[in-house]
Amino acid sequence: MLTIENLEKRFGSLRALDGVSLEVEDDCIVGLIGPNGSGKTTLFNVVSGFYEKDGGKIFFKGAQIDGLPPNKIAKKGLCRTFQVSKAPEKMTVLENMLLAAEHQIGEDPFSALFMRSRVQKSETANLDRALELLDMLQLSPLKNDYAGDLSGGQKKLLSLGRVFMLKPDMILLDEPTAGVNPTLRVQLMEAIKRLQEMEKKAFFIIEHSMKVISNICDRVYVLNFGQKIAEGTPEEIQQNEQVLEAYLGSA
Amino acid sequence: MSIINFIIYLLTMIGIYSLLAMSLNFQVGFTGLINFGQVAFFCIGAYTSSLLVVNAGVPVVVAFLAAMALSGIFGYIMSIPTKSLKSDYWAIATLASGEIVRLVALNEAWLTAGPFGVMGIPQILKDLISKDAYPVFYLLFVVVCIIMVYFFLGMLANSPFGRNLKAIRDEEELCLSLGKDTQKLKLQAMIVAGMVGGLAGALFAFYITFISPENFKPIETFLMWAMIIVGGRGNFKGAIIGAVVIQLFNVSTRFLGNYVPLGSDSMAALRMMIIGVLIILFLLYRPEGLIKEKKKIYD
Amino acid sequence: MEIAQILINTLVRAAELSLLAIGLTMVFDILKFANFAHTDYAVLGALFAYVFNRILGLNLFLAIILAAFVTGWVGILIDQAIFKRLRKMGAKPVTLMIASMGTAIALRNLMRLIWSSHAKTYAIPLQRPFEILGARITPLQIGILVTGLLSMITFHLLLHRTTFGKALRAISDNSDLANACAIDSEKMIKRMWFLASAYSVIGGSMIAMEHLLYPRLGFDVIIPVFCATILGGIGNPYGAMLGALTLAFAENTVLALDLGPLINLGGLFEVGSIQISTGYKPAISFMILIIVLLFKPTGILRKK
Repeated sequence: MLTIENLEKRFGSLRALDGVSLEVEDDCIVGLIGPNGSGKTTLFNVVSGFYEKDGGKIFFKGAQIDGLPPNKIAKKGLCRTFQVSKAPEKMTVLENMLLAAEHQIGEDPFSALFMRSRVQKSETANLDRALELLDMLQLSPLKNDYAGDLSGGQKKLLSLGRVFMLKPDMILLDEPTAGVNPTLRVQLMEAIKRLQEMEKKAFFIIEHSMKVISNICDRVYVLNFGQKIAEGTPEEIQQNEQVLEAYLGSA
Repeated sequence: MSIINFIIYLLTMIGIYSLLAMSLNFQVGFTGLINFGQVAFFCIGAYTSSLLVVNAGVPVVVAFLAAMALSGIFGYIMSIPTKSLKSDYWAIATLASGEIVRLVALNEAWLTAGPFGVMGIPQILKDLISKDAYPVFYLLFVVVCIIMVYFFLGMLANSPFGRNLKAIRDEEELCLSLGKDTQKLKLQAMIVAGMVGGLAGALFAFYITFISPENFKPIETFLMWAMIIVGGRGNFKGAIIGAVVIQLFNVSTRFLGNYVPLGSDSMAALRMMIIGVLIILFLLYRPEGLIKEKKKIYD
Repeated sequence: MEIAQILINTLVRAAELSLLAIGLTMVFDILKFANFAHTDYAVLGALFAYVFNRILGLNLFLAIILAAFVTGWVGILIDQAIFKRLRKMGAKPVTLMIASMGTAIALRNLMRLIWSSHAKTYAIPLQRPFEILGARITPLQIGILVTGLLSMITFHLLLHRTTFGKALRAISDNSDLANACAIDSEKMIKRMWFLASAYSVIGGSMIAMEHLLYPRLGFDVIIPVFCATILGGIGNPYGAMLGALTLAFAENTVLALDLGPLINLGGLFEVGSIQISTGYKPAISFMILIIVLLFKPTGILRKK
């Protein structure tokens, strides 16, 4: 579904991405690991349109998407979360969910003013889906709280639910369990697994925790210094010499 | 001027400024667009409507609509640079564009009669209403406009459109990642805000029946800013309350000038100084303003 | 207009604007917000200089130095009372900018209250212009050029030969790194405000001496100063000087331009002489500012 060919990204003289090629298929969970600074988040940022590439090609569902602005890429079905969860302070959890809803009537002044009954219908339908997702993520009691008041882990759960409101075909998760306490981490992992089984979508996850990786990923890519140094199942890469060196070397 | 007439004048001016405050609030409080050139909408609305009627004999209703349209278009023009400019740079650009609009009004005398301004703007429906009742009529006219704008802006604010704007204000990158065309949304917000500002300008021109570039100096924008800072951003009640407070203060100190031994220039200076201090105090101690933004609760 | 005269007018104006712009660019770069009250500090200082000069009878030069010193402290005070508190509250740069607007309004009108809106003049003897290369220049203008040059050289020395200057440049290049090196940022910020405000007073006084001194002068000159700052790139004082030069040149030449021949397209159209009306002179800096913001907001010089 997602094909990356020889992707390059430079910051001045620093080669953040140095010819990375990889593929993520439909209906699976793929992991992306590597020491700090290996280019993982940069990869996500380029793929999702927030950074401009310096070379290479990116294909999603067969069409070339490099060069498109982030909102167009998201609309094509490739969505992402952020390493540091973004949550509009003055919006409630439910508002956040509704914000993300896929098909909304009333997102422009004309329809907001003159197509009120259809807006109402679409809002109700989206509200139902939002409540369903919040329930599954066990965030329902917080539904009318300001998103800014949530704990770090809860914000991560919210990010997950929010991106699902978009009904994406593929989701890029940037360190979904970073900075989260172990109980919540288990909750998050379960949520991701459950969502994947339910919706049969593709997940591409940046993670630092090998536990999470071995637990939920079908395949893993390893980056170091902007280059792909290994790929395979979690078991395979855990025993890969180069991978161990990369992590130990940077310790 | 009798007390009653003075109060009606005060209320009418408060009304006109509340429209401007609501327009500014829609940009600042909802979308996070820091507009220091708000007076441009006021100016364009006033000049467009009055010139069309005085010089071209256009019916008043059409003139009002044209004023709103032209201001809306200027809103569109102002929104274009938001794509590439950060908010503080854009704010500076809006300050500059507000002044440019005024300078055009001042210099293009063939169009705007330059420093002499537009005179003899006819009062709407003058023949149908007695001279004594006219001030009340106009006040009611302004109030009706305020109610309609409040209603429409409220609908927009509570709609998915409004939700998108609030999200842009707080986290624009998130909106992009959720597929929102933030540039288009800002554009739409500016057009709406421009139209409301233009309406205020037209109402103003037809109320005081004489306008000149002097009415549209940058200080007007900062009065409007004081209104939304004091009243509260992110909600329209706050904008109206802010307009009430600031205008009351503005006008009453003019009144006080008769009793206090300060010259009129000094009174004006004291007045503006207090407004500046108010802005600072509110930003430091009550940044949400008098009326806080309401939480949106779903059941 | 004679080229020589344009040159002289440009240099004088550039000197004045530079002194205002370098302070603004420093604050914009290090504290990350546009201080709209900056030029009002300059006018405050110019008014202090007026008081010292006219009322206390001090020599003009000394009056300005003293005023710069006093206003330097005012700059620190205002930061402590307003901007620092907002910074501690985690306010966004935009909020600081709005606060600086409020400060500008309050300060400007305080000056108006105390000194009235009437224009004032310093105790300067009537100026007899010299003739150089067919252009006229007054002793005052020569003084302005010399002061400007000396001030900028002093600034350069400060920036490159003192530890304070080194620290300033370090913070400017990378504030996180500077923090890590334990540069005392609070002290640095105070000194920066002092420097920025003091220099602005010199610039403001020079403008006031050449033209008139009145409380609203700050607002009349804020956009040109912003223009010079942004033209030169935020954080680049040399860029600010270049920006000031460019703007001053534009201000002095654009109005003299006859657009007629341009629109004539070499005889295609019958257009007489078209000149931009002088009423638009203030708008020149606005237009340039908008053009720069639209096309290259990082300025014509990249950050050094």
